Amino acid sequence: MAPPPAPPQKSPSPSQPSGKSEVSDLKLQLRQLAGSRAPGADDSKRDLFKRVISYMTVGIDVSAAFSEMVMCSATSDIVLKKMCYLYVGNYARCHPDLALLTINFLQKDCHDEDPMIRGLALRSLCSLRVPNLVEYLVAPLGAGLKDGSSYVRMVAAVGVLKLYHISAATCLDSDFPAVLKSLMLTDPDAQVVANCLFVLQEIWNLEANKSEEASRERETLLSKKIVYYILNRIKEFNEWAQCLVLELVAKYIPSDTDDIFDIMNLLEDRLQHANGAVVLATIKVFLHLTMSMTDVHQQVYERIKAPLLTLVGSGSSEQSYAVLSHLHLLVMRAPMLFSSDYKHFYCQFSDPSYVKKLKLEMLTAIANESNTYEIVTELCEYAGNVDVPIARESIRAVGKIALQQYDVNAIVDRLLQFLEMEKDYVTAETLVLVKDLLRKYPQWSHDCIAVVGNISSKNVQEPKAKAALIWMLGEYSQDMPDAPYILESLIENWDEENAAEVRLHLLTAAMKCFFKRPPETQKALGAALAAGLADSHQDVHDRALFYYRLLQYDVSVAERVVNPPKQAVSVFADTQSSEIKDRIFDEFNSLSVVYQKPSYMFTDKEHREPFEFSEEIGNLSLGQEPVGNSPRYDESDKDLLLSTSEREENGGPSTNGPAASGYSAPTDYNSSLVSLSSQTQSETAISDPGMPKYTSQMTLAIDDLLGLSVSAAPAPPSLKLNPKAALDPGTFQRKWGQLAVSISQDCSVSPQGIAALTTPQALIRHMQANSIQCIASGGQSPNFKFFFFAQKLDGPPLFFLVECIVNTSSAKAQVKIKADDATASEAFFGLFQSALSKFGVL
Amino acid sequence: MLQCIFFLSDSGEVMLEKQMTGHRVDRSICAWFWDYVLSQGGDPSKILPVIASPTHYLFQLFRDGIIFLACTQVEMPPLMGIEFLCRVADVLTDYLGGLNEDLIKDNFIIVYELLDEMMDNGFPLTTEPNILREMITLPNIVSKMLSVVTGKNSNVSTRLPDATASCIPWRKTNMKLASNEVYVNLVEEMDAVFSRDGALVKCEIYGEVQVDSHLPGLPDLTLSFSNPSILNDMRFHPCVRFRPWESDQILSFVPPDGEFKLMTYRVKKLKSTPIYVKPQLTSDTGNCHINVLVGVRNDPGKTIDSITVQFQLPFCVASANLTSNHGTVNILADKTCSWSIGQIPKDKSPSLSGNLVLETGLDRLHVFPVFQVGFKIMGVALSGLQIHKLDIKNAPSQPYKGFRALTQAGEYEVRS
Repeated sequence: MAPPPAPPQKSPSPSQPSGKSEVSDLKLQLRQLAGSRAPGADDSKRDLFKRVISYMTVGIDVSAAFSEMVMCSATSDIVLKKMCYLYVGNYARCHPDLALLTINFLQKDCHDEDPMIRGLALRSLCSLRVPNLVEYLVAPLGAGLKDGSSYVRMVAAVGVLKLYHISAATCLDSDFPAVLKSLMLTDPDAQVVANCLFVLQEIWNLEANKSEEASRERETLLSKKIVYYILNRIKEFNEWAQCLVLELVAKYIPSDTDDIFDIMNLLEDRLQHANGAVVLATIKVFLHLTMSMTDVHQQVYERIKAPLLTLVGSGSSEQSYAVLSHLHLLVMRAPMLFSSDYKHFYCQFSDPSYVKKLKLEMLTAIANESNTYEIVTELCEYAGNVDVPIARESIRAVGKIALQQYDVNAIVDRLLQFLEMEKDYVTAETLVLVKDLLRKYPQWSHDCIAVVGNISSKNVQEPKAKAALIWMLGEYSQDMPDAPYILESLIENWDEENAAEVRLHLLTAAMKCFFKRPPETQKALGAALAAGLADSHQDVHDRALFYYRLLQYDVSVAERVVNPPKQAVSVFADTQSSEIKDRIFDEFNSLSVVYQKPSYMFTDKEHREPFEFSEEIGNLSLGQEPVGNSPRYDESDKDLLLSTSEREENGGPSTNGPAASGYSAPTDYNSSLVSLSSQTQSETAISDPGMPKYTSQMTLAIDDLLGLSVSAAPAPPSLKLNPKAALDPGTFQRKWGQLAVSISQDCSVSPQGIAALTTPQALIRHMQANSIQCIASGGQSPNFKFFFFAQKLDGPPLFFLVECIVNTSSAKAQVKIKADDATASEAFFGLFQSALSKFGVL
Repeated sequence: MLQCIFFLSDSGEVMLEKQMTGHRVDRSICAWFWDYVLSQGGDPSKILPVIASPTHYLFQLFRDGIIFLACTQVEMPPLMGIEFLCRVADVLTDYLGGLNEDLIKDNFIIVYELLDEMMDNGFPLTTEPNILREMITLPNIVSKMLSVVTGKNSNVSTRLPDATASCIPWRKTNMKLASNEVYVNLVEEMDAVFSRDGALVKCEIYGEVQVDSHLPGLPDLTLSFSNPSILNDMRFHPCVRFRPWESDQILSFVPPDGEFKLMTYRVKKLKSTPIYVKPQLTSDTGNCHINVLVGVRNDPGKTIDSITVQFQLPFCVASANLTSNHGTVNILADKTCSWSIGQIPKDKSPSLSGNLVLETGLDRLHVFPVFQVGFKIMGVALSGLQIHKLDIKNAPSQPYKGFRALTQAGEYEVRS
């Protein structure tokens, strides 16, 4: 709900606009004034109009006074006219019959001798947007396009677009596009030309799908003749029109290199325009033109660098954010070009944190041998920053730089200094980083472990940091004298540990430690496995059982699985694929850059009106699968290992199948970042089945552990769905049209799921198993679209409707949920998401 | 293209809505937006300028307690949306003589009129204040007086601006003015960052050449500098001709009437700053002693005025007791501490000292404040930029020419 409207501050009447009485009072007063020609009548009208408009502005419905307002509209006072136009424009749509009343005086005003009034009247006439009044628009528009005043022609040009949106057929039948085209090429006034261009672009773009001719017309807009004609006049245009022209030129395909250089020479001074939008549009043109000429493209980067950096520095923080987002894109593409400009990306205290965050990412990207020292020094200063999220972010940045560089000596020292700052979040972030560093540079283990060993695990609370510390304890237990005892005390407090991630790591670390120092760890491992088996979290329980069975089967095999020699990770996988980055780059100077996603990931049919849904659903295949209830996996401890191996087969070509989970323990908290393949190879390469030294002790330990069997049940979800829900497509369609979107969110789909999603049916069957039925589906790789529904099990029949678009190349699903009971949609989304995330894994 | 613009107060109340296209945007988007603001901590100035709501993409700009919110559903250049909102805010400030809730509510008719001329069907038309001023007259006292005297009660000029038909879109073709004068102001802002150990990390000047021109006819001006080579990253008003600058570093232009920004520039890698600020913080068992010294480093030759030092006390400070030997110290409710010094006295150097009591359990300070320094120096451009001369051609009589300079602190930070 909108916040309650405040009463207008300087209402001439002391009474509050409480409701109908006030409006009827206004009506009465307006009616009295309507015919009055007394001197001063205009003044009182103006006061009344002002009140009406002020009510309208604060959101009170004053449409009841429509006819009275129209009656009062016969006036020569231009401010009164403007207020009247504003009022009429606002309410004409909901009173189409009354709007007819206004046509008369608007048409009369269209012939006024004052061009300003002609223009305003024409604009208002076109803004009524009442379909059955379209016939009255054509004649004034035609006259307006031929008007002697450029102001009127300018308004008329945009009016044509408004007409097109009300009734495309009328607009095309009256041949307005052709008139606009000739106007565009002949009119002396630049603003008229710009408006014609704007309107023609929009009309042909929308028409292009429907007719051959329109798409040909769209092509001609990009022809050399028109582009050059407009480019040569670009200095006459105002800044906004220049943006429009530059957008057009960015789409133009030059015939040869001379063409390219001509355009660039012509536009070079636009780079120094005071308006940032013009500068950015020019940069887009330059980048696009030179895409195929590598050396010139490089020079363009050099050329646009200064204007961009200036734009960042001047203007408001909002402007610099938009520019920085683009700069961010360029920096990520060519970091070395910006390596000497690193000081521009230093954070100012007063920068908003969203700007700081972008700057930190860029500082990370441009760090190289020559500037690392300065950048890291600067970043270390931020670590003591008042702004805690930024302090964390900058520590992470230091770590990322360390991972990029070959000479990490100094950086490791800095990181270790962070640990000595004894600030909990600094310690937490640093631990995570040290762990990553060790995985890449095992040679630093000696220095790091010495410092890490001094950290009391009691001072580390954040799950990620705790997990990292435990990983190091397990991995380097041979170098840390008290590792087994720290682990032991942690395992003793198993029940107080809330994060499953930490418990998983405790299990793995206990295992690793056990293989290195069996006598000391034996007791701790037993306790850990016991606690793990009793754990209510499925993954923890699974892993504990897995380790237990593994040890039971063969201790030497267990060691090979849990503790294989590891290769250092050479490259941490990038979070964004280069394909996506290229897509964003193609969409330079658009919202994609700010969101850091290509537009197809966020604009997909978002802005369509609900009625278009019906044609959309028509394209999809309806009800492919009969609504049924397929058997669910009923898991018991007995067949758990068996089903794991089955799952692996089902999972298809995924590299990190469940069988690898033993040694992949450290990857769990960071699996998206780690390239696993090297480890997989190293593990399979081990063929030496030499017996470990401590076998006898181990079997002993295992005997101790026997007899433990605790079944664990996951906590039941609060919302239950009816497995036999039914809904016919007609009702679904109606509901979809009526209900508002209560949740719209992206969630990720597991790689296994993506691999299994070769046809829509695969997912449909899976979701059915989770009591979520499919009503329609369609699409092919990489985009699949589904409409699902589900019904609440008990209580009144409440439905949840879901639109789900899965993109297999990005492994993301866009989920939109509409619900009869919007309050339950959050819980339902949870169910849906968990069902989706299990797809391909189960 | 923009579909709708809303003005919101800083408490989330919708003050004004202006629909631009046939696709009406419901007011409920404002409620969504306000919920989003609250979920992000409730401070509109800390919200991302570009956000995606479930139904629309939103651009937002926060100026002087007013949120300008624009909605669109199609892809468009983000800077175009943001720049446009900035211009709307600038033009309104210009028209209403400021920007606040009451001014908007008192003058919403003018705001509607302006928005109407600035944007049609979601596409920006003209945002040039000079042209708008000719279409919609200012609501100032003079025009109110006039309307009382003449009985003509209209704030809309009946004639269309000539400029709409002129090939110099920023100027009327034939202007007759009583005054004949032009002022050139150099306004510079110094951005500097000092690191913890007192070293100058970064020092730049961002400068603007502001011109206030009241010249009749179609005057042609040339402005030249003695040392243009120090300038970097220039940006020009559309009236500046590009070629003369490219070849001879001369600004040649036909000015719009009134005040405008002729050029902005940047001077990089400066080596010295006019004043120094030396903070010292020493922690000792739950107490932190703070001492800040301020003094002149390089005398610019003119008085350094309105010196202020501001810093945010870390959140772990329970109480603070600060005194200074010159100027006044204020601690605000949000733990911002501001020390206004004014001018530096001749006989002593100002110093601030005091004790910060840390929250129990903390032994020493881990988070160090950043000191933001403000100052103002009239009559000097610290970058060293000097105007050589200003020539005026096409003028019926020799106009009066005035020059001024001013340097103030921009982002002047000292870390501790």
